Amino acid sequence: MNIVVCVKQVPDVDDIKWTKENNLDRSQMLSKINPCDEWALDYAIKIKKSKSVDNVVITVLSMGPNQAEETLRYCIAKGADRAILLSDKFFAASDTLITAKILSCAIKKFIPDFDLIITGQFALDGDTAQVPVSIAQLLNLVDANHIVDVYKIDKNQTLVAQKIDNTIRMVELQNPCLFSVKKECDKTYVPKIDDYIRAQGAAVEKYGANDLEIQKEDVGIIGSPTVVYRSFRPTIEKDTVEITENYSKTILDFLLKDK
Amino acid sequence: MEKIAIYCEFDYNNRTLGDVSYELISKAFELKGQANSLCGADFEIEAVVCADELPTECIKKAYRCGANKVVLIKNRIFNVFSQTVMANAFIEYYKHNNSRIILFPATFQGRLIAPRITTILDTGLVADCTGLEFIIKDRELKLAPTRPTFGSELMATILSKKLPECATIRPNTFKIKEYENLNGEFSEIDYFTYPDYRMKLLKTLVDDKEDISDFSNAKIVLCAGLGVANNKNKEYIEKLQKLAHLIGAKFACTRKLVDFDLVSRANQIGQTGSTVQADIYVGFGVSGALQHICGMKNCKTIIAINKDENAPIFDYCDYKVVYDAKTIIDQLLTSLFDNE
Repeated sequence: MNIVVCVKQVPDVDDIKWTKENNLDRSQMLSKINPCDEWALDYAIKIKKSKSVDNVVITVLSMGPNQAEETLRYCIAKGADRAILLSDKFFAASDTLITAKILSCAIKKFIPDFDLIITGQFALDGDTAQVPVSIAQLLNLVDANHIVDVYKIDKNQTLVAQKIDNTIRMVELQNPCLFSVKKECDKTYVPKIDDYIRAQGAAVEKYGANDLEIQKEDVGIIGSPTVVYRSFRPTIEKDTVEITENYSKTILDFLLKDK
Repeated sequence: MEKIAIYCEFDYNNRTLGDVSYELISKAFELKGQANSLCGADFEIEAVVCADELPTECIKKAYRCGANKVVLIKNRIFNVFSQTVMANAFIEYYKHNNSRIILFPATFQGRLIAPRITTILDTGLVADCTGLEFIIKDRELKLAPTRPTFGSELMATILSKKLPECATIRPNTFKIKEYENLNGEFSEIDYFTYPDYRMKLLKTLVDDKEDISDFSNAKIVLCAGLGVANNKNKEYIEKLQKLAHLIGAKFACTRKLVDFDLVSRANQIGQTGSTVQADIYVGFGVSGALQHICGMKNCKTIIAINKDENAPIFDYCDYKVVYDAKTIIDQLLTSLFDNE
């Protein structure tokens, strides 16, 4: 069984640095694997270890700058068998539709016999949750989001638990299919030193626009249907009143006003 | 005349349209007025629903919010949710209507349907917008949605180079506004299709491990931040839950408390949690990361308690209390018991 896990390297949003001009200072920010994507990989590894399906090959696929190779090596250390990095200066600033097109194109070309695609529910930086759904549409797959467990899997079907508010939906998807996870897997593998050494020696396949036979004008900032018009740090002007005495009495008056 | 289409989600459990539908129609009505004053453009608002039938009350309310037309795409199989079937049904509607703008709710269903539809239409989609307005750019009227990004540390206004211009909006982002004098027309499309047999819902179970917090009707929200959970201790979180229970308020928390596994995610307010529009919000030891602020800034009265006088939340609140939040929780509990 061929499992594709899509991963993204993201800046650590809890550690954001700003330039004097109030722009994001990306050079000062640490990068890490998007947390939901790491959980997606954990689910793939769990499926592989469960032995419920034969010959599981896990391919991690990422689009990003060359530094994203680090994230892919981390995935290999965790247990991925194959790593593909889609990197090209023309890919930069692709929006969700174009990112999904590039990833789908790579899946069709390099992992054509995939049975399952697992992704994270959303990325920490963009947080749109749109790329997985777009990939499913482009590859004509059924998909499910908000996945919190994989009950059962065989060559033809995947039975997953989808958590919507306080209900769990047991959904059966016919393979090939796609699902995105939003909860940590109960089994996570923390790589050991030996794993990191093995991962350093492993091959990371790298492909660009030419390898994918993608036209430069169809991707990146030119090809994307959406464009960032302006970005700004939000500010609010409020006339804040400071309460300086009888704190709890004053707050209680607010809370019990309608009672 | 150009059209704004609103993808409306039918709630089969309550046999009604969700509030977010009316919120989006109300916002579209406001946009329509804005376009008219900017350049005299006239828009028609169409509320589109996939369902087996639509109660008259829902149709009338959609008119009162500003829908010129309510379109029911009718088929009995819509009672079982299927994103592929519903996306295709909407595409069928779109083919005959060519809406210039499509707005979707950023609900569980909307998030699965909207990107499918925009991918089929090969156009852009702006997710989780918190602001929607028209601008004139290069002499052209453009929809300019604004959304938080980078963990809400940054706001971005995003334009679409292609038509239709599409956006998803979370529930509770915009307000419902009804006008008694507004009216519209209703039309029905009998849509024939097969279910997508590649996907089957086998069973729905109630997950009682996590009590879900529905913030949509919350009048008062008491929110716990890291300041009440020193050393990852639950004591004051539990006290605040008790306080909320006593006064009939909703208990909420920030992302950090969920990350530390102190509170379930259902209670989280912020960019990756719920958005609230309560009358009163009180933050106990909440520092005010922007990802949290964007989930609560529309509350009418915001009270912030934090012992750090430089906490960012003080820039966004109406009432500021520089004091230890835990002490205040104790005092509030004591005075409530004294009152009884």
